[in-house]
Amino acid sequence: MHAGQLVFDIRDAFLGLRRRPLRFFLSSLGIGIGVAALIAMLSISEGAKRKAVEKLSSLGTDTLRVEDSTDALAASGENFQNLSKGLTTDDLARVKSWLGPRGYLGAYQRRDELHMASAEGRTTGTLLGVSLDWFKAERLELSWGRWFDPLDERSAKSYCIVGSQLARELKLSRGSYLHLGGYAATVIGALESRGRLLTEGTGLSALDFDNSVMMVLASMPVSHSSYDLRRLDGFVLRLVNGKEKNVLQAAEQVHYLLQRTHGKVEDFRLVVPISLMREVRESQRLFSLVMAVIAGLSLVVGGIGVMNVMLANVSEQTREIGLRKTLGASRGRILWFYLWNSMVMTFSGGLWGVLAGVLLAYGVQLYAGWEIAFSAPAFVLAPLSALATGAVFGLHPAYSASTLDPAEALRES
Amino acid sequence: MAQMIITAENISREYAIGGRRVRALEPVDVEVAAGQFWVVTGPSGSGKTTLLNLLSGFDQPTTGRVEFCGTSLASLPDFRVAQLRNDSFGFIHQTPHLMSHKTVLENVALPFLYGSWLGSKEVNRRCSAMLDYVGMQELEHRYPATLSGGEMQRVVFARALVRDPEVIFADEPTGSLDADNSGRILKMLRQQSELGRSVIMVTHDSDAVRYGSYRISLLKSKNAVIGAV
Repeated sequence: MHAGQLVFDIRDAFLGLRRRPLRFFLSSLGIGIGVAALIAMLSISEGAKRKAVEKLSSLGTDTLRVEDSTDALAASGENFQNLSKGLTTDDLARVKSWLGPRGYLGAYQRRDELHMASAEGRTTGTLLGVSLDWFKAERLELSWGRWFDPLDERSAKSYCIVGSQLARELKLSRGSYLHLGGYAATVIGALESRGRLLTEGTGLSALDFDNSVMMVLASMPVSHSSYDLRRLDGFVLRLVNGKEKNVLQAAEQVHYLLQRTHGKVEDFRLVVPISLMREVRESQRLFSLVMAVIAGLSLVVGGIGVMNVMLANVSEQTREIGLRKTLGASRGRILWFYLWNSMVMTFSGGLWGVLAGVLLAYGVQLYAGWEIAFSAPAFVLAPLSALATGAVFGLHPAYSASTLDPAEALRES
Repeated sequence: MAQMIITAENISREYAIGGRRVRALEPVDVEVAAGQFWVVTGPSGSGKTTLLNLLSGFDQPTTGRVEFCGTSLASLPDFRVAQLRNDSFGFIHQTPHLMSHKTVLENVALPFLYGSWLGSKEVNRRCSAMLDYVGMQELEHRYPATLSGGEMQRVVFARALVRDPEVIFADEPTGSLDADNSGRILKMLRQQSELGRSVIMVTHDSDAVRYGSYRISLLKSKNAVIGAV
């Protein structure tokens, strides 16, 4: 068959369907609804996935995060004999010696909701006492000034590095004094904007880098008990070779190491973002699959409607089929002609279904506030599914048309 | 000796109806040469249309065989028979079968959709020329619903000729026409036979018989009578 004849057949199929616009519209409606559901569901699912991935990516997929959970354990009321003191600098030293040059290990203590003031203003924020490698482990960049150096750590000078928002808000520059709850520190640098650690649902404490002040651990303003000096709120470990396998292995080792030194008491929380990401991806995959099955079912229902309409069309066009055969249309050609008919019907349903799906997804976003995201494969997959539905459910009517006896068919009038 | 276009040897057709075998066509031999105008007559139920369907490959005989230019139609696959109907046969039926949603020109162009593709320009040129021949060129953009019965049959005539067929099968082509239009169609059929095309026409009309050169008179439950008109 020549391409020109194919174009004529498809055009003819479309014009033929247009002869009964209401029937055409109603039968494509079923497919359109199925496709709209598919697009809307996939965009909602994709939105949820992207949000989760964005959240976990902000934690760093090549990192492990350990937080002290002594308080939570005590609050749980479990009857245990905890000889461990939670996370301490001893743990830091132990993990650091195990890690060696394979990554960066940054430890921190934190004080939240701390009043901070400069000559230009006042605000509240988080104060972090950090080890030198913490910046590397968190992949932070300096906007201006300098990093802490080992000398600062040894001398426990009251130097601080500030988050970008804080630097802007309190109009801080190098050498400015910053009052941290009655304790003064000199600003030596400011970080590039990094935003927040999106920790919702991970069990980790939230952290807004831009609204934090960092000092070296040794110079943290603490009550000077020896316990407070050694206590840590957490640490973050970033592997140089952050492949999933390596991260998971490291997580296992760190867990073993900490558990052993904490007398097998889980007074710490180990979070592996890449592992969470895998879980999120898996559950999203499952969700998408369920959604696709539901949307697929509505396509099947639409397809049955299309088959019904096509059977009616074939029955009404018996004489026309006879005429086409008389003029030289082979069985194959008639079969394809009616397949084009049903595919044109379902494809047009698919096209407006895509449009309706997009509007539906935006509607959900507007009224329910859910995050949505459109994925390119969905826009290709949905009309193709509609086309495939047309082909599958149009096959029986098309076959019936192709096997009509032309002489008999022409007698029908 | 003229070239044999269609040869039918001892062809008959039986149908099974309700467990009973009913003979629709008694055995008949036909040899149609190029340029011959055959008229098939006979009472209702004698098998005129059945014979036409067998000769044009729409149906297969219960006994005997039909050959087109020496090739048995029964030996050809469906698409080859379809190709034959497109390239070598033209059909005119009692009811002028036209597609109501297509213009006159588009209806005449239909056979080109199923045969070798010549391009839209050439197809339109040929169709217009054929419509001019049947006196319908001025109405080529009209739809069938706006035409009279005679005009519709002339459009069908143009469509039957547009692929330059070797045989024209006409099944009661004047059955639903007035005397003027009947005469016009019959004259054109005669003209085509004179131009070298074979014409096989089924008719009830005794006036139409005189346009043919050979006649097959089918009889119920008896052998056909074949001879010159």
